[in-house]
Amino acid sequence: MKAKRILLALAGAAIDTDVVRLAALIAKPNKAQIEALHVIEVQWNRPLDADLTEDEVRAEQLLEAAEQVARSAGVALETEYVAARTAWSAIVHEAEQRSVDLIIIGMPYRRRMGRVAVGRTVQNVFVSAPCEVIAVRERAHA
Amino acid sequence: MADLEERRPERGRKPGERIVRIVRPKDFRVAGKRRYELTEHALVPETRFGRAVQAIRRVLIGRPLRSEAETLERVSKKVGLALFAPDNITSSAYATEEIMRVLALAGIAALNLTEPMTAAVIAVLAIVIVSEIRVIHAYPQGGGSYQVASENLGMFPGLLAGSALLIDYTLTIAVSTAAGVAALSSAFPPLHEHRVLYAIGLIAVVWLANLRGVRESGLLFAGPTYLYLASYVALVGYGAFLTITSGLPAYEAPPAWVAFYEGSAEPLAAFLILRAFSSGAVALTGVEAIGNSVPAFKKPEPRNASITLVVMGICFAFIFGGLSVIGGALNIVPDPKEAETVNSQITRTLIGVGPFYYLIQSITALLLLFAANTSFSGFPRLASILARDRFLPRQFAFRGDRLAYSTGIGAVAVLSCAILAAFGGSVTRLIPLYTIGVFVAFTLSQAGLVRRWWRLRNRYWRLSIGLNTFGAAVTGIVAVIVAVTKFEFGAWMVLVAMPILVAVFYGIHRHYQSVEDALALDATPQVEAVQPVVVVPVSRIDRAAVRALSFAKGLSADVRAVHITDDEDEAKHLEQRFEQLIPGVKLETLISPYRALLGPLQSYLDAIDRGDPRRPITVVLAEFVPRHWWEYALHNQTALRIKLALFFRPNTVVIDVPYHLEDEERHR
Repeated sequence: MKAKRILLALAGAAIDTDVVRLAALIAKPNKAQIEALHVIEVQWNRPLDADLTEDEVRAEQLLEAAEQVARSAGVALETEYVAARTAWSAIVHEAEQRSVDLIIIGMPYRRRMGRVAVGRTVQNVFVSAPCEVIAVRERAHA
Repeated sequence: MADLEERRPERGRKPGERIVRIVRPKDFRVAGKRRYELTEHALVPETRFGRAVQAIRRVLIGRPLRSEAETLERVSKKVGLALFAPDNITSSAYATEEIMRVLALAGIAALNLTEPMTAAVIAVLAIVIVSEIRVIHAYPQGGGSYQVASENLGMFPGLLAGSALLIDYTLTIAVSTAAGVAALSSAFPPLHEHRVLYAIGLIAVVWLANLRGVRESGLLFAGPTYLYLASYVALVGYGAFLTITSGLPAYEAPPAWVAFYEGSAEPLAAFLILRAFSSGAVALTGVEAIGNSVPAFKKPEPRNASITLVVMGICFAFIFGGLSVIGGALNIVPDPKEAETVNSQITRTLIGVGPFYYLIQSITALLLLFAANTSFSGFPRLASILARDRFLPRQFAFRGDRLAYSTGIGAVAVLSCAILAAFGGSVTRLIPLYTIGVFVAFTLSQAGLVRRWWRLRNRYWRLSIGLNTFGAAVTGIVAVIVAVTKFEFGAWMVLVAMPILVAVFYGIHRHYQSVEDALALDATPQVEAVQPVVVVPVSRIDRAAVRALSFAKGLSADVRAVHITDDEDEAKHLEQRFEQLIPGVKLETLISPYRALLGPLQSYLDAIDRGDPRRPITVVLAEFVPRHWWEYALHNQTALRIKLALFFRPNTVVIDVPYHLEDEERHR
């Protein structure tokens, strides 16, 4: 895989660490640029430019944590967060805007009706992304 | 919404879809409503020179640490011994020698008193340890002599203890590094010639390591400390084994050394014996390190700290006592030129010059550096507490990039280097200054505890009072002996320095107190708009002057441009132009026939002040900033001169309105 520009979609889940580590693994041999994106999903009953301070503080914290993981893995990480109605559309939009070669997205382990559930965001990013997509699934809970 | 960030709405992928890009400055991160946290990016200097300096700092000192990175490492007894004992244990590297050096002044035969002197010092050590255990139990939060004395005896005894400890920490660094170099130069004699330089070099290394925020990490310290203990215990054990079995090897002192001592032999008077005892009392330095660090131990902290203290005392007494006995049995004579230490002679005689000899000399030097490091953390910590209590400048309480008290670390490094250089790196010349501070601090802390037990009268208070009274009496007597016997050899300096330091602390405290009284708020402070009289000195009408005048008009309705000149024709010309170009501002001209600039301006401001002393005066200066630093030399720096002249003028605010050449290009 020769990705030169990698977009990480981080949601603040435990799997984010693995997402960053995998990105570092792929990026290092190709000297690829890694960009981390967090999308603050704003409910439809609130305006997009509403006061999002709490979400922003959380975004800052999770991106800071990702930066630390990246630093310990020996790569640099550019971080950004945006506000949007749906995370998946913002991720795909950013991937198009930035012409990334690869999106890496975390997939928390959830079970619904006895089966592992794939969330809406992961599904839609897989379907709509203009580039390759890797979803890193969280380990099954014991 | 955070005020420092920018929100850029963008169209999404489909019609009607929107996203908002939240662009925040790299220097800040949002930490709450209208609250921002500085990022590491903000610390990157803008200029190339600044970045180069920062790169060098990073290599030497390391990356800055966040405040929350400071965690208290809890240590076990084993690690605690390695961390806090080197200061005391390494005293065994020079204590025997210092006793011998004084006794030898009465001739070689007087060296027979080395063992009884050692026994007396060990007895005092035992008393101090028993008393110190009471300190540990009374102050489980870590009670340095300064805290114990100031809490129980009052401010001045506390300050006296503080000054004694600061002196003691500084001397510990000087003595330990000098002794470390002596240990090395015993094994590698060429080092002896430039011992001061090597000692200062070692202090610089420890200084840098401390600026990096070297925590007294258990792993780092444990290996060398236990290796030192094991090596010396093995050496003493081997000496004892030889004594019992085949007998000790023969030692013959160089005839020149013997002749040196015999040639200038003094009578063996009580004074000389007491002086020898006080030289050996250096062995008690560093005992307080454990008492100061009780919170660093695992629970139950007081018990673990007490056990560690006792183990430290036993280890030290065994090594110190053992070396003195073997040294006495071998009839070791101290080197008058201090080129080889007594410990080196003992080791060389017992086992010869081989790998073990070099190991002992090297590990002694290394552990002496660790002992210096203990003071490098003790001095800044105490200085920060004194600064917090406003007895030292506030700078001592600030922590640097790596959470270390950089000012205190720098101060103790400079002071110890100066002392080392002044005393030619000689341990023997430094020792008379050394012990007095320790015993003053011990005495005050023990006396403070007596008062505390009397006040609290809790369980076993009678026993505690008895122990601490005895401790205070013994350490007090030793302090007096040290002061009297070593007065002329250097102790007077410490006796003079301590009250001076106390006076300085008190003076600083009074200053801070008066500033605080002057700045204290009333119950309900009123924030009212005050219109200042704004004075804009104008030398000519140009872009910089117009910008300063525009800024001034935004500050107040009362703006006065003032032109100071010695040329009346030029003044008339400027007045006409000013009236045409800037009609809304009054221009006043001051003719200065003696070409002075600052004097007339100050007189003008004085005149305004007399008219309405309640209104503040604001002087707005137009300052041209050239593109390159070296272009400053081509301009006369009038604004800078005015700023400096008005810096201490009361009721005056000086505002600098810089005009950068880049501004001009932007306007075009």
